[in-house]
Amino acid sequence: MTRDDIHIEIASDARLLCALRALIKTYVGLQGFPVERADEVVLAVDEACTNAIRHSYGGRPDQAIVLTLRSLSDGIEIVLRDDGTPAPRERLAPRELVPPDPGTVMPGGLGVQIMYRVFDEVTFEPGEGTGNRVTMRLKRPPVRDAM
Amino acid sequence: MPLQIDKENSSDRYVVSVHGEVDLYSSPELREVLTGNLPSGVGSVCVDLSGVPYMDSSGVATLVEGLRAAKAASVTFVVVAPSAQVRKVLELSRLDSVFEIRDAL
Repeated sequence: MTRDDIHIEIASDARLLCALRALIKTYVGLQGFPVERADEVVLAVDEACTNAIRHSYGGRPDQAIVLTLRSLSDGIEIVLRDDGTPAPRERLAPRELVPPDPGTVMPGGLGVQIMYRVFDEVTFEPGEGTGNRVTMRLKRPPVRDAM
Repeated sequence: MPLQIDKENSSDRYVVSVHGEVDLYSSPELREVLTGNLPSGVGSVCVDLSGVPYMDSSGVATLVEGLRAAKAASVTFVVVAPSAQVRKVLELSRLDSVFEIRDAL
């Protein structure tokens, strides 16, 4: 096991999300990803945290979310854990998003689908009794040869 | 951080200018404005997002609610000057084609 680069616990308070985004953006940039990719990663991790706050913890702001970031040989891995209500598996399946008729359909579960689109690999592990764990991996872009 | 939302009603256009990041924390504020009563007689709602560097899916869902509210009132709903990040989240949500998007007011 390599050591995590960053291991933090944050409260499930939506007010803190902006601070977390700044951290993720800096970390992903440091790992050699271009700015556009870093922006997508920030969004997808934000969506994962939002789901933990809204669904796992039902909006309670005083619960714990644990986030670890680490560098792999070919990319990065971000793991998010909570101790809330396990997500129902049907919410976590990848699906094709079709533009809805906005007059009748409300988008739901958008965050999960954004996570699938941004990362190369997303694994949801809802706990048996409590808790959720989601592992997100992204390959590093190929390094260009110096001219 | 809280949003700053300016509302301006000129001729038949209701311009809602949003400043700040729209996420789980701040989107209820925008929802309140976009689903609230429209000034009487307006023909269009223009949501100016030029001051929004970041939006997540709760912001996108809020825009969809605004669109629905406008449609229900037979008013045009226009998204103005979204940043590259906001365009990206609309695209990732497959909702970019649902909105009328303009580059400037």
